[in-house]
Amino acid sequence: MQISPDGNLLDDLRSVLGDRVRDGDFELGLYGKDGSVLEGRPSLVCLPVNTDEVRQIVKICREHDRPFLARGSGTGLAGGAVPVGDPVIIATAKMNQILEVDLENRIAWVEPGVLNLDLTKELTPQGFHFAPDPSSQQVCSIGGNVANNSGGPHCLAYGVTSAHVAAIEVVLPDGSVTLLGDLAAEPPGYDLRGLFVGSEGTMGVATKVAVRLTPNPPAVRTLLLDFPDVRDGAATVSAIIAAGLIPAALEMMDKRAIEIVEAFVNAGYPTEADAVLLVELDGLPGGVEHGVEVVRSVAERHQVGNIRVAADNEERELLWKGRKNAFGAVARIKPDYYLHDTVVPRGKLVEVLEKVYKIADAYDLIAVNVFHAGDGNLHPILAYDSDEKGVLERVHAAGRAIVTASIEAGGVLSGEHGIGLEKRDYMGMLFSAHDMATQDLVREAFDPEGFANPLKVLPSGSRCSDSFGQHVPDGAWV
Amino acid sequence: MGVNPLGAAPQEVHQFSEEVGASDPVTVVGGKTQWNVGGAPDHSAREVTAPTGIWSHEPEEMTVRCGAGTTLLELSEQLARHSQMVPFDMAPNATVGGVLSVGRSGIRRLRYGHIRDLVLQIRHIDCNGKIVTSGGPTVKNVSGYDLCRLMVGSLGKLGCLAEVTLRCLPMPETTRWLTGNDDPFEIYARLYRPSSVLWNGEQVWVCLEGVSSDVEAEAALLDLTETEGPPQLPGDGRSSVQPKELRSLSADDTNWIAEIGVGIIHSDKPSKPQQVSKTNESLMRELERRLDPNGRLNPGRQVVPL
Amino acid sequence: MKEIAIDLGIPHHDLVSCVSCGLCLPHCPTYRVTQEESASPRGRIALMKHAESSGFIDQEFVGFMDACIQCRGCETACPAGVEFGSMMEATREALATQTSYQPWWRRLGYRTLGRPTVLAFASRVLSLLQRIKVVPKKLGLPQIPIIQRRLLASGTDVWLFTGCIMDAWMRDTHRAVQRVVEATGAGVQFPNKAAACCGALHVHAGLGDEARILAEKTMTAFPGSAPILVDSAGCGAQLKDYGHLLGTELAEKFSRRVFDVHEWLAERLDKLPKSQEPRGRVAVQDPCHLRHVQKSHQAVYQVLAHFTEPLGLDDEGLCCGAGGAYSAFHQETASQVRDRKIESIKRAGAPEVASANPGCLLHLRSAGVEVRHPLEIIDSIMTKDG
Repeated sequence: MQISPDGNLLDDLRSVLGDRVRDGDFELGLYGKDGSVLEGRPSLVCLPVNTDEVRQIVKICREHDRPFLARGSGTGLAGGAVPVGDPVIIATAKMNQILEVDLENRIAWVEPGVLNLDLTKELTPQGFHFAPDPSSQQVCSIGGNVANNSGGPHCLAYGVTSAHVAAIEVVLPDGSVTLLGDLAAEPPGYDLRGLFVGSEGTMGVATKVAVRLTPNPPAVRTLLLDFPDVRDGAATVSAIIAAGLIPAALEMMDKRAIEIVEAFVNAGYPTEADAVLLVELDGLPGGVEHGVEVVRSVAERHQVGNIRVAADNEERELLWKGRKNAFGAVARIKPDYYLHDTVVPRGKLVEVLEKVYKIADAYDLIAVNVFHAGDGNLHPILAYDSDEKGVLERVHAAGRAIVTASIEAGGVLSGEHGIGLEKRDYMGMLFSAHDMATQDLVREAFDPEGFANPLKVLPSGSRCSDSFGQHVPDGAWV
Repeated sequence: MGVNPLGAAPQEVHQFSEEVGASDPVTVVGGKTQWNVGGAPDHSAREVTAPTGIWSHEPEEMTVRCGAGTTLLELSEQLARHSQMVPFDMAPNATVGGVLSVGRSGIRRLRYGHIRDLVLQIRHIDCNGKIVTSGGPTVKNVSGYDLCRLMVGSLGKLGCLAEVTLRCLPMPETTRWLTGNDDPFEIYARLYRPSSVLWNGEQVWVCLEGVSSDVEAEAALLDLTETEGPPQLPGDGRSSVQPKELRSLSADDTNWIAEIGVGIIHSDKPSKPQQVSKTNESLMRELERRLDPNGRLNPGRQVVPL
Repeated sequence: MKEIAIDLGIPHHDLVSCVSCGLCLPHCPTYRVTQEESASPRGRIALMKHAESSGFIDQEFVGFMDACIQCRGCETACPAGVEFGSMMEATREALATQTSYQPWWRRLGYRTLGRPTVLAFASRVLSLLQRIKVVPKKLGLPQIPIIQRRLLASGTDVWLFTGCIMDAWMRDTHRAVQRVVEATGAGVQFPNKAAACCGALHVHAGLGDEARILAEKTMTAFPGSAPILVDSAGCGAQLKDYGHLLGTELAEKFSRRVFDVHEWLAERLDKLPKSQEPRGRVAVQDPCHLRHVQKSHQAVYQVLAHFTEPLGLDDEGLCCGAGGAYSAFHQETASQVRDRKIESIKRAGAPEVASANPGCLLHLRSAGVEVRHPLEIIDSIMTKDG
């Protein structure tokens, strides 16, 4: 369906942004997708460069009764940035300045389009970094991290984005600009900042973020452990934590993932192993060495094969490169993949993993597992070829079965990708209707009419006001 | 419908929901250790107490689930059996729900972060006497809106905390407190993630935690002497500033102790109420209006300064 | 906007190999300076998909495709191994053959490259203009000699490919390269005029037929089986791709004889004289066609390390913006891309900068960066050391 944008809306936006409003047929299509398999189509795309432009875009959208959707780098995996309900896209990619690095407060003020890894690279020489490090770290934006409360391997020890954001300048859905949170330790009133982080763009548009800086650890050790049986690997994970050790990161890859990753990075991953654990310990040297010993002795009690300790930073980066590129590398076995994200209690990892393999078999799909084992965050990847007839139905059915199995094991819907469009209709698996209605009341305090990123997070039923509920785009399968 | 809506709420939570009920003003009583924060509740409000008891502690998961009325003493005793802790650093007779409702962090925040980051799941009773579950029991979760963080520091005005699931941390092998007269800002800059650096304008206290060789090595960087523990914090007064603004503090007639790197100042002078912007105030009032339209939950207390 | 019927002719399998994860974005020079999806590899592939499925394009599409530098940094970054370069080349060729994408004057310019006499004449005019100082310095052109001294063969062990612009404007670089190669004890011979131009720029421009004609001609200029050394990363990448371009066994065989000169030298470091201490620091700009296409940039470091202390840049091989003819047609983007590179060079903090591709050299020089071919640096060290 060809959507013809409201002529006046276009003119009004052009009067503020000039040629940074896009309405070309080809270009609009580019903003209909993120990193997920979902697809929609925006009515217009705006590329603002500062807070005031964002404010004016929101105001104009309101005047024309149009919803809007803030987009960062478009790497989200839950369809959070996929347009539903013909919104105007507010792409924050051009707002990419690091405004201030305030070492005394250990804070950096950044614009939402700053890329996560760019920020860390800027901070590293000064002895600091930004702790959340999703696999898409090199390309995901800080604004996206805030929207999704992003995690990453190192969140096991350092916590997710919410713990690393002190304050956020936000353009609210009514077009007013405000500061949520503060650099002061205990801002008065309710924690609106905490509520905004992870709200997936449904409470407004972040235009500046004060992120906390984490000191770089004086010592780092990265270990690669291989196991002849995935069960031993999983048991090692639980045993490491039970021994009172919280590594900086504790990642697991199954046999198929090892093979795929090794083909891409040639890091010397043991392709004959059934599973590997990538363990990183950081901090002061004594604690790190103690940690290495704990990991070693725990692993030895669980039939570990080899224990490889990265000799230098180069080797460490190589090992991590494999881990961080694993998802994309899956495309080497099949052209398409569907990446899931659920969390289960660590003690249930093996049980759920086995179910994942069974589910994949039952639906004739290939399952690859690369995940944050330390916090029980599973990332089963279902690899498939979309040219195969009826394959999408199987992928979705298998996905639902995996989510169900995770929740039955005492887990949750998403550890870090968010709910977005992908899982909003699964919310009822985890929450009662009353729980969701309560969440919706909270959202409504920010956006009673549902102008900000409509139809995300909560299933349509739980909404009191579904003004844009009429149009779910082709390709979206919610 | 739900496969397993976050495990069924235990009987105690149901009983509490009945106790809270759907009408007349109620106020939740915990250990009354920070009772005056936000002002005293209206006399008309009926006092209710949240359920107590540790309902599950899974050491290998490093999570603990308990009634909001559980005291910190009971919680820490249970966790200590497995060399774990939740670094609340508040009075032992304070309750978990009380500490979270007030939302003030403990003196080791510098290392362990704000206590709200340790909350995984909350069950609260809303103004209609119904149970609401938010968050999730696992150590990582982004399913749905983050009501847990909102509840921390809400003084029970958006709901009465009934059950809490917390993330535990391993107890450090060694904890050492040191004291002396060096520049606290320089000390903070020199150390890698100290647990606490306190300063009263003249004297500094530093808490180092970790394996003993690290603690010793870090201590050796400083010209400080060993001490028993943290100093007695003065009075009820508490204010917060940006960490760097602590530099401008000077020893005057008031007795104060500041948390370096954090920005909290404890003093014996009553704290001045902080301002909230008009826009934020209206958002906060909207939250109150929507979640408790009749204002029956903890009336009299003010989260948003008037 | 006016619709134009098109068939890009890209295999469906290639188009769907991109899963739009976005990991290519920060490694794309045009995305880096614009932050626009349409200027990213992921976006361009999505545009190609759209064109293929609809069978139509518009002028905007042409602009988006033309804005790609074809550095292929995205291929290195892509965990899924998407072959972006070949899709872009197919698209450009479809545009050049099915639309008015390449106007006559651009085609004429490209044609000149394959005509040594015309090129030599034009270069001589340019040289005279330089003498009377009417050529702006910011163009970064080297001092073009009025009279070109001939390159003299010294044996038959290896060929040295000379190319078009490089031979006309930077022949002294070939001389330096020749001396370094000879220092290993090998004799160097040069091709005849049939090897006038490798055709890389033509492929970039979508002029596939012209490129194939040039390739056929070039191959005739290298009889025998001696290795063919190339001191221009862009030409080397193209010569190595003849097998794919022409699809003949002869071309495959030819391509296997092609080596970047540093690759060849890196195997023979023991034959080169030892340099004197102390070694100077050299910041190395990796040409995209060496790093992302030939994937042999490490050889430059190995060779340089024999005489100097080479330092890599901290931008993970992000393009400098030269892109063959790109910097001439997209001056603004090219100079924005270059600004990032210059910042990175400055951060390396070395007194000398090396680049193994003439396009990059000229582009960086036009911004005032003193940059030399790695083997010119080595040649002057060897000359100084005696």
